[in-house]
Amino acid sequence: MLEIRFHGRGGQGAVVASELLAQAVFFDGKVAQSFPFFGVERRGAPVTAFTRIDDHPIELRSFIEHPDVVVVLDPGLLRDTPVTGGLKPGGLLLVNSPQAPGAFSLPQGGTLATVDATRIAVGRKVGTATMPVVNTAMLGALARVTGAFTEASLERAIVAFVPSHPEENRAAARDGAESVRMEPVAPSSRPSPPSEEAAPLPFPEGPVASLPSNILHTSSWRTLRPVIDRDRCTRCNFCWEFCPDDAFDFDAEGFPVVKLLYCKGCGICATECPPDAIQMVTEA
Amino acid sequence: MAKLTIPREELMYSGHAACPGCGPALAMRFLLKGLGPRTVVSVPASCWSVIATPYPTTALGVGMLDNAIEATGASISGLRAAADALGLEDLNVVGFAGDGGTADIGLQSLSGMLERRTDALYVMYDNEAYMNTGVQRSSATPQGAWTTTTPVAGEARGKLEPKKDIMAIVLAHHPVYAATLNPSFPEDFVRKVERARGMRGPRFFHVYAACPPGWRYDSDQTIELGKLATYTGIFPLYEVENGQLRITRRMGQLKPVEDYLAAQGRFRHFSPEEVRQVKEQAEARWADLLAREKATSTPAPVREVPPAGAPAPRPSATT
Ligand code: SF4
Ligand code: SF4
Repeated sequence: MLEIRFHGRGGQGAVVASELLAQAVFFDGKVAQSFPFFGVERRGAPVTAFTRIDDHPIELRSFIEHPDVVVVLDPGLLRDTPVTGGLKPGGLLLVNSPQAPGAFSLPQGGTLATVDATRIAVGRKVGTATMPVVNTAMLGALARVTGAFTEASLERAIVAFVPSHPEENRAAARDGAESVRMEPVAPSSRPSPPSEEAAPLPFPEGPVASLPSNILHTSSWRTLRPVIDRDRCTRCNFCWEFCPDDAFDFDAEGFPVVKLLYCKGCGICATECPPDAIQMVTEA
Repeated sequence: MAKLTIPREELMYSGHAACPGCGPALAMRFLLKGLGPRTVVSVPASCWSVIATPYPTTALGVGMLDNAIEATGASISGLRAAADALGLEDLNVVGFAGDGGTADIGLQSLSGMLERRTDALYVMYDNEAYMNTGVQRSSATPQGAWTTTTPVAGEARGKLEPKKDIMAIVLAHHPVYAATLNPSFPEDFVRKVERARGMRGPRFFHVYAACPPGWRYDSDQTIELGKLATYTGIFPLYEVENGQLRITRRMGQLKPVEDYLAAQGRFRHFSPEEVRQVKEQAEARWADLLAREKATSTPAPVREVPPAGAPAPRPSATT
């Protein structure tokens, strides 16, 4: 059995990717299972989805804690989501990135692969320029590097089940397969950090949720961050007033300061700032 | 830091689970600024029941009851009775429900609460569809709008029916206070909340609540879109106190509705004819409000607060 875990953001198509993959596997005459992790399904929020592939009916019904393959649709997630948590030694990490596989690390050893799915999706006009839908390009790359399902079945699944622009998506899948790069990596001699799993939250007793939500950080939702130019700022407070995430403080001189642990990068503050003192810049 | 025009205190915490640029999140933030900490909020199944509650946390710095989608009105009647029994007379009892949970599924419960004259504030935050479950039409969805259940393809032109007029339904129950609010106008928003807070009896807010993914626009435009909604006459701002209507944002000339419609993917298929209909409806709505304001503005005795030490006014002999 091959177990695959997808990491993306709401709106990028991670859940659809896991379903299309399952459909392609069925066309190959094998058995598949796919399901999302029902977390916060909000645009920009981290999303996880799973697919299992086998020759026999699959009876396991749990989440995939120890995948053979991890697919990352948004490299920004590598910043603060433990995407490779539980990845088996010798497993495969496939990342949407313009960089070569060597730019990433895999301490437990295995295979690193990269494909510039964003560029492919923009080029094939899949999704919009600000929100390209990268899932089909990623699946093309996944078919090529794993050989776990055929590219012909993937294209058939795309044509049958992708409601808008199936031909463009099919071309994106083909581009993904053609341009994916991979590199084996030996296990690192350095001991890997003890655990990549986040510490569990201290659960209160009883059914009452009593901890403030600001112990949770929403910075990983963000692809753009606001940067304030203090020379232009007139300290009018409009940015503070209109932020839906209460992500502003004021410094001793009364200038606004963004609380980056919470900012989701909506861009409202930049749009509402009268002297245009706020720029939204891409997160590195 | 310049002087703040709305209270600094935050009773809605960061870390909540609303989408980037969420209008309903701003609505809650401003509502709680106006109400203060002596407040309990009943929230039914809706975007906000998810936004507030990544267990074991809560995004609200006040008490919250998570209730069933049809039960907001009933739940605040119960909360009021309990608060009174405990002698908590200063507690603000508030229902905070979406348009689906109010204008569709919770309508009888809202009507019951208004008819019982429950001393509570009911807030409908209107993002004009079932957004939490993925953009299905509600009775508050505007005519012609795209949703996943009112598609736009071939002959299909979005939602067929006009938006339900929830304010008319509520006003037919003669609440002590009802108002329309829009987070793009924070000072007007908070002033109405503070006004309602000081009253006793059933009160109702219809809150404009823009939704970037559901209405298909970029998340940085939430405030601009809200301003256009009011300036075009699509969502005028007014309040009705004891039957007397007062417009709180006056426009000499309405802005073109095209500006509002073109900014959202859900209206982008509109033909010039469909745009003209929206324009006519906005003009008619505005004219009707002006007429009602005029018609209800006359007698209403001025109720000045007597200066300290002055004798309390006597009830007039004729009533
Ligand atoms: S980008 Fe949005 S969430 Fe971030 S600080 Fe500005 S208004 Fe707040
Ligand atoms: S809105 Fe702009 S000018 Fe006003 S306080 Fe914020 S950064 Fe400064």
